[in-house]
Amino acid sequence: MIRSRRIVWAAGLGLLVIGTASCKKKEPPPPAETSAAPAPAPAPPAFAVQGVELGKSIDADKKVSTPTTTFGRKDTIYASVTTEGAAPSKTLSAKWTFQDGQAVKEQSESIAPTGPAATEFHISKKGLWPVGKYKVEVSVDGSPAGSKDFEIK
Amino acid sequence: MPDDKQPKADFSDVEGGSSSTAPPAPSSGRTYTVVKGDSLSKIAKQFYGNASQWKKIYEANKDTIKNPDLIYPGQTFKIPDA
Repeated sequence: MIRSRRIVWAAGLGLLVIGTASCKKKEPPPPAETSAAPAPAPAPPAFAVQGVELGKSIDADKKVSTPTTTFGRKDTIYASVTTEGAAPSKTLSAKWTFQDGQAVKEQSESIAPTGPAATEFHISKKGLWPVGKYKVEVSVDGSPAGSKDFEIK
Repeated sequence: MPDDKQPKADFSDVEGGSSSTAPPAPSSGRTYTVVKGDSLSKIAKQFYGNASQWKKIYEANKDTIKNPDLIYPGQTFKIPDA
């Protein structure tokens, strides 16, 4: 009788050990490797004038619709200055001169570009434009940044 | 003897304007009205403490200043930030 009790106890103890082992808490899986931190956004390009185009009209994005360097005596003349880069403050200036060096008009526009932009300057004359050769010189904060020759016929 | 000097072209009636797709640069909104005896250097000294900064005022007001040595009482200039 005692022997059979021992057997029962031993069997119970064995089941208990097996049960404990099977209930052992599983180790949590290792965290998935996180991907490398995203590369920082590239710095915007430095502000610079990309080009100057002349024409008789501009579209909604301030760019010349049909570039030309020849105008009529009654035309309004547009100069579109395309730029790239960002800057907290830049002053674009346009100086229009006649063939003899005489100043026709000077204009400026202060901008705070955040990327590619277009800035237009235009001139018109109540009377007829004198026939001849003209030039528009564009500067940024007083430094020359481009020019374009044109003619009025 | 013929006079070979051409009369100067008249551009006094030329009008103009400008605009941009870029936002306008922030401005202090300060203006200054010229009084007798003023010069751009004097105005620059007043606002920036440095007379040599007159070009900054000139650049910001090229529409109205034909000659930086000639400014007139009553003219109102934009004063850019230092």
